[in-house]
Amino acid sequence: MSVHDWIDFAKGPLFAFTFLVMVLGLLRHVIIQVSSLITGKGRRLRSAPWRRIIADALSWVIPIRHMTRGTVIFSVVSFLFHIGIILVPVLLIDHIVMWEEQLGIDLPAIGRGLADVLTLFTIAAILVLLGFRIFGSRQRSMSSRIDYLLLVMILLPFASGYAAGHANVNPLSWEAMMLTHLLSAEVLFVLVPFTKLAHIVLFFFDRISGLHWQLRPGAGDKVAHALFGEEAKV
Amino acid sequence: MPSRSRALKDVLWALALVGLVAGVFRMWFGLGATTHMSDAVPWGLWKVLNMVAGVALSTSGFTIGFLVYVLRLEQFRKYVKPAILLAFLGYGCSMLALLFDIGLPHRFWHPIVMWNEHSFLFEVFWCVLLYFTVTLIELSPSVLEQTRARRIGRWLHRLAFGVVIVGISLSSLHHSSLGSLFLVTPVRLHELWYTSWLPFLFIVSAMGAGMMMLVLVRIVYARLYDPEPVFGPASSGINGIVCQIPGISVDSGGVPERGPEMVRLSKLAIIAASLLGATLALKVVDVARRGAWTGLGQGQWEAWLFGVELLIGLALPIVLVAIPRTRRSPYGLGVASASAAAGLAINRLNVGIFGYLRDAGSFYIPSLTEWAVSVGVVAAAGLAFLFFVENCSIFDERSVVARQPGESLTVLFERWSHVWYAALMSGVHRVTLIAVLVIPLAWILLYPPYSGDNIPTVPVQAATGLDINRATLWLNSDRKGVEVTFAHLDHQNRLGKDSACHLCHHVSMPNDRSTPCSRCHRDMLSATPIFNHAHHEQAVMEKERLSGWHATNRTCGYCHPPGQAKTSDNAKDCFDCHKTDMWLTSAPDSTINLSDACAFREAMHRTCIPCHKDKAQEVKRPNLAECYTCHTSLTPRQLVTGPVTANLER
Repeated sequence: MSVHDWIDFAKGPLFAFTFLVMVLGLLRHVIIQVSSLITGKGRRLRSAPWRRIIADALSWVIPIRHMTRGTVIFSVVSFLFHIGIILVPVLLIDHIVMWEEQLGIDLPAIGRGLADVLTLFTIAAILVLLGFRIFGSRQRSMSSRIDYLLLVMILLPFASGYAAGHANVNPLSWEAMMLTHLLSAEVLFVLVPFTKLAHIVLFFFDRISGLHWQLRPGAGDKVAHALFGEEAKV
Repeated sequence: MPSRSRALKDVLWALALVGLVAGVFRMWFGLGATTHMSDAVPWGLWKVLNMVAGVALSTSGFTIGFLVYVLRLEQFRKYVKPAILLAFLGYGCSMLALLFDIGLPHRFWHPIVMWNEHSFLFEVFWCVLLYFTVTLIELSPSVLEQTRARRIGRWLHRLAFGVVIVGISLSSLHHSSLGSLFLVTPVRLHELWYTSWLPFLFIVSAMGAGMMMLVLVRIVYARLYDPEPVFGPASSGINGIVCQIPGISVDSGGVPERGPEMVRLSKLAIIAASLLGATLALKVVDVARRGAWTGLGQGQWEAWLFGVELLIGLALPIVLVAIPRTRRSPYGLGVASASAAAGLAINRLNVGIFGYLRDAGSFYIPSLTEWAVSVGVVAAAGLAFLFFVENCSIFDERSVVARQPGESLTVLFERWSHVWYAALMSGVHRVTLIAVLVIPLAWILLYPPYSGDNIPTVPVQAATGLDINRATLWLNSDRKGVEVTFAHLDHQNRLGKDSACHLCHHVSMPNDRSTPCSRCHRDMLSATPIFNHAHHEQAVMEKERLSGWHATNRTCGYCHPPGQAKTSDNAKDCFDCHKTDMWLTSAPDSTINLSDACAFREAMHRTCIPCHKDKAQEVKRPNLAECYTCHTSLTPRQLVTGPVTANLER
């Protein structure tokens, strides 16, 4: 098989497989969350303070209200990172062609210039976030291997996609970059439902169910320790 | 909940989900894109394995009913409920598979309203439909017991005797009719299987194998949920000590009884084996009577299949049941019953598929989608079986499997991913996880456009004339840019003017003398059919002045030989009628295949390249047969000279 056959394979069956794993995996989270909410909370759900829960959840979408002095840069960067990571993969013109070919969905595209700027922003944001996790003592104490790995895994498709689209910054051939781009994105698809990236859908549930995806056993104490020093306890 | 049934359920869910994906593809893309059935082999896996063999293995519903309600063999009363469940699920999954098989599934109800009383299938349809209803009525008391509608269940239970009698008559009717069905193909079915005794053989073998199926299911149930009655107390298997249970005898051979249930099971197996013995005897007598031995002796592959069918389906189970040692062992009986069921399936496949292949002149290997649907439907029936067994008292009054406390909501933290999993251990969690992994896999394996034999269609665009006389043609037929500028008039003049046409053009449309290549070779990459069947029917009808309501139905015999499958291989030669009206010369090439026109690219290359190769020697221009002589855009850079560069710039 030539490299073009591999690219066709990665664009066709492998894309369908990994994309379906992601979609079904996220759907599964929704099903399990809903079913466990119903079995766990049952009728109490009806009297839940829905308005407050939704307002609380929305207030975390734009994290300005939750910024404290030490976390401003981290919060702003992570907010920008989310804009790029949602807009570029979905609305880039090359991807829209693929959505239409494979899924028959027609979406409006963002301009190539804007996409380039957003991609560079996202790459920069990933590097900044990685820097925080590596050099910031608070963030480092809350991070584990998977947190670094996921950031690198998100960096890969963005960087390789940008390089594949701009021959002047591409150190390798277009084919090699394209294949890297496709395969890394597809690995990421598979990782989404099985890692904390599942907050794509779980975000909407964690406020309701009271189970927060970010927290690991004993994490509360670690967070308090990182934020307020030795003696703090949750 | 025993972990054994959990593992089995996981596998069944995976298979059923693969079947679901395959079923969706079959409905969406149609039979042609998803199955390997053809006009020559129209009866595939779904009809023969799921329907014909499936209902044959579900006969226990009426045979056990007959033993208990008619012959009053009260000891088998315990098996009535499982037998009915087996019949219900067997018929249910046969009908489901058939729904995928018929060309227009939304018209499945047509035989209810539109009666074709000349058809055996019509009778089979009605009997299967009614018998399915009967099993539903018979089964409902045990299901309704668990719900609030107990009273309806008890009322239905009172009808039991009458319903059982109706069930017996319906079953004996349609099991023989399924055999009669194959009687309409006396020439096509191989002589080893074609016999006027088919209806009789079908019902006797189905009764035997159906009972064996019940034995198998009883043993599997015991293995999964409740081993003691069949396999005996756990200790006896370990240290080999003969266990004396009060009231249960040890047989004369000194082999320990495994469990109290085994006595009854081996009795049932003896009845089943005698029916299988009757089948074997009938078969041997029948083959001898018809003198079909010659076919066996000639070493045809059908003879091997016939032998395998007799060996696995009849001889092996009979021998295993006849030997007391294996008859009394659950494992021996399990092997005997599984082999009887498999042998029956092979028999039905032989009669329904393999027996026709020699006559059809083609082979049939079911596609992955066909296997997936076929197995998936059975897996779904298996899941339904486990559900009924766990929630209703099927095998025993007290056999409703207790709910495990572990089934409730649990919360687990996954360290690797840092995700909180709610409901990790419950059934929903497992099944959805299986779905997430299995559905995408099934998707890429079964999605018809991904399957290898699917070549994309690239329509051919007609050649453009670069001047008013079409002396020079421009061929960019797939609009991909690797075009050819072809000096048509030049070639014609060089090769001998008007007498040269036939050197390249081989055939024209009827009554045409200059059909362009792209009229027939319509696709760049794949062959396209050029024979228009409907048009020929109409033409023959008009020419022969046939009349009647469906006059075109009388045209078949003009091209197809009687008593054989109507395929393009044995139809009348095109040149029998088109003697002169399609030829450019007086000596037509009669070896040409007129049903399909090969791919355009192939046609062009095969016409030009051999001649160019010959001429390359003749005129001493070695490059004449190279790609870039015609496809000038492929010229290597170092060879580009004046006129070709000009061509590239254009």
